[in-house]
Amino acid sequence: MGSSDLIVGLEIGTSKICVVVGETRFDGTLKILGVGQAPSRGVRKGEIVDFETAMKCVHEAVVNAEQKSDVMIRSVYVAVSGSHIQSFNNRGCIVLPEERDEIDDQDVEDVKINAREVSIPAQNAFLHSIIQHYHVDGQNGVLNPVGMLGEKLEADFHIIHGVRTRIQNTIRCVKELPLEVEDVVFSPLASAQVVLTQHQKNLGALVVDIGGGTTDYILYVDGAVKQSGVLAVGGDHITNDISMGLRIPMARAEKLKIEEGSCTLGNCLPGETILLKDDSGFAGKEIERETLNTIIHLRLREIFELLKRTVEEEPFINYAGAGVFITGGCSLLGGIDHLAGEIFEMPAHVTHAQTLSGLTSAAENPQFSTAIGLLKYAQAVQIDRPRRGITRIFGRFFSGMR
Amino acid sequence: MTKRGCDDNRKIDMIQLSKNYSLPERQEESVPIKVVGVGSAGSNALDRVLLDGMDKADLIAINTDVQSLASSVAARKVQLGRTCTRGLGTGGDPELGYQAAIESAEEIRQAIAGARMIFICAGLGGGTGSGAAPIVAQLAREAGSLVIAFATLPFSFEGKRRAAQAQDALARLNEVANAVICFDNDRMGDMVAPKAGIHQAFGVADMTISQSVRSILNLIQRPGLIRIGFDDLFAALRSQNGRCLFGFGESDSDNRAHEALTQALKNPLMDKGRMLSEAAHVLVQVTGGPAMTLSEVEILMRELGRYVCDRTQIVFGTAVDGKMGNRLSVTIISSLAAEDSSVAQQMPAQPEPFLAPPPAILEQIEEPSTPAPAPKIEIAPEPETAVPAQPAANDLIQFEQPVETQLPAGPSIKKPAPRLIPPKKKPVVEKEAQPSKGKHAHAKQEVMQFEPVARGRFEKSEPTIVEGQDLDVPTFLRKNIRVR
Repeated sequence: MGSSDLIVGLEIGTSKICVVVGETRFDGTLKILGVGQAPSRGVRKGEIVDFETAMKCVHEAVVNAEQKSDVMIRSVYVAVSGSHIQSFNNRGCIVLPEERDEIDDQDVEDVKINAREVSIPAQNAFLHSIIQHYHVDGQNGVLNPVGMLGEKLEADFHIIHGVRTRIQNTIRCVKELPLEVEDVVFSPLASAQVVLTQHQKNLGALVVDIGGGTTDYILYVDGAVKQSGVLAVGGDHITNDISMGLRIPMARAEKLKIEEGSCTLGNCLPGETILLKDDSGFAGKEIERETLNTIIHLRLREIFELLKRTVEEEPFINYAGAGVFITGGCSLLGGIDHLAGEIFEMPAHVTHAQTLSGLTSAAENPQFSTAIGLLKYAQAVQIDRPRRGITRIFGRFFSGMR
Repeated sequence: MTKRGCDDNRKIDMIQLSKNYSLPERQEESVPIKVVGVGSAGSNALDRVLLDGMDKADLIAINTDVQSLASSVAARKVQLGRTCTRGLGTGGDPELGYQAAIESAEEIRQAIAGARMIFICAGLGGGTGSGAAPIVAQLAREAGSLVIAFATLPFSFEGKRRAAQAQDALARLNEVANAVICFDNDRMGDMVAPKAGIHQAFGVADMTISQSVRSILNLIQRPGLIRIGFDDLFAALRSQNGRCLFGFGESDSDNRAHEALTQALKNPLMDKGRMLSEAAHVLVQVTGGPAMTLSEVEILMRELGRYVCDRTQIVFGTAVDGKMGNRLSVTIISSLAAEDSSVAQQMPAQPEPFLAPPPAILEQIEEPSTPAPAPKIEIAPEPETAVPAQPAANDLIQFEQPVETQLPAGPSIKKPAPRLIPPKKKPVVEKEAQPSKGKHAHAKQEVMQFEPVARGRFEKSEPTIVEGQDLDVPTFLRKNIRVR
């Protein structure tokens, strides 16, 4: 084992492509060497719609990251998102042979396979099967059953799956560069690795990553993933709303959102306006701040309310003791934590990647949560499963991750 | 020639202006005011007024019960019915209270003599309060004073008998007093945490009375930039037999305008501002230290505007008081008619309010030349907050707001003396789907017509359909919220 390992996380987002280069030291720490990014084109709602353009943008971002970190990038971990990704919880069950009552590693593997024997749509592939808890002869909450005595071993898994071809499109885009894809990771799972501490996962927390094209969420209860999913609505929609509501071009709307946007209502002076300077092809315009904020407020409120309804379909949300953690580019909008707190009726925080060394300024930007999370995810995987050549991307199992 | 005439006019104006400026309205402070507590509940309230600090008025306690009278801290005390109750209470009999008051009429007359304004605090439902308070009010009116009565109604658990006695007394008070501000004890309960001690629960009623006495006093006595006088006050409290709305809030935080208003609307008599939607007159007084800014007042008034309906007459006053320091206080006084009758009175000859507006009116609405810019955005009322207390037929329509009843653009506009402004005969029919039309004040935006397909940049992408809604269409379009 070398003294350090290079890990690269790549997120192909709707608004930007982000490459984070890090290295794991043998003492277990993770250091960020550099961050490369490029504006994204050809991506809508988290998925590639224009292959050629998207590939160019990815290339640009990778080159940028190589220059900044002064390393050669050969393989990457890729984050995927998109409305096709779904999740559910399932329980696997095996009965030990008569002559044996001590549970061994093989039984644990078997129960995982058993849990996956559920029907998912034919065109779908498994992305993750994440262990929640084991049950041995009805005893709940067993974390590691190996070595325990029992007759019946059950295991609850959180299973995330998506349309195979749509995931493969992302992989192909990276492979054409050519870069090797170490693994694909569902975006919020990656974000959660750096946004939440283990303590917060145990307390229960909902991570909401509002990016450009999608809003990804993942709910942890008792340290295990209970729910996750994607709502294909994000910052792009806010920009679109602003553009249509105020009748200004998209680029203007985007800039306005970033520079002046807030979702707090009622705190601007009556008649307070923002002056948009004229530009080529755009006559200047004066718009009311309250109008802008209302448009943003309504959209974000809707996103949160939809999320709340989705998450509330199962009763876990009440156990999210640590509250809601908002990250992603849209979390930079003013007042978003208050709005989320009001709707979810629990404490809400805007967060970014925590506990990392190296380029901490990069970590403090919530836009990079997912890419940095990929490094942490990769690090955890590598400890659990030392490098063994090419990873099987589909049909792979992974349980060490929590 | 004309130019010169102009100049002359201006000069005259200037002279008048400077005259006004050099004459501070100090003489107002000398208005002799007396606060009278009738019965035990009345003297409790009086004690509270005194404890909270009251140097602008004389306090007089009037009671049949000597013991209770002895414990009162009021400077002047009048014992009622020396012979008919002999220093004991009335035992909850209003008739006895009435006779006792008649017996001691002369003493009462002496005590209240010379006051230009008299506040009567009484707890209705018992003997002395219910029986004697109307007499005191009558005597005060005969002596030429203005009378404002602060009455509390008993808790409903005190029984129907007391409630009936209280209603009788209230009716009689309404006949004689210039204005009655009525507090329902049941509603006071909402202000107190369920686990709070009973002392606190009763204390809240006294505190509310004390607050309102004080704020009305301040309203009248404080030299204001925009003064509110008796006339304004009585207009706000005009509706006979009605229910008084009173709210007071104070804050010294950064967002004090908002907080003070929220606190004022939290008052149980306000029902979170919902009640205001049906009030014909709302009197608002904003008082702050020298640091109070115009924009604060504007924010506050604009926010209040959301709670009142279009035809509401807002009487607005503001005063700067050095003693306020960093604080900003809001007093809201209004009254609701007991029945629909008064609403009917106020809207004479309303021809067919449900007709759709002729196109000419829409054009008029679109004119951008309205002087006071009402907030351009309006959020559709949440259905749960939209329970109108009176589901009267005219809740369903909204009238084109006459310019005079608009929110003032700033405190520099002095409201004309309140009078009923008949709404223009141009009702704008709202969509039936929107509940509680009466609650929101701004109905003057036209419904924006958007092109049927409104997905913008997501035109060609896979639609995101959740719960039957196409999320690519802007939220404000789907929720039918007008933006500009």
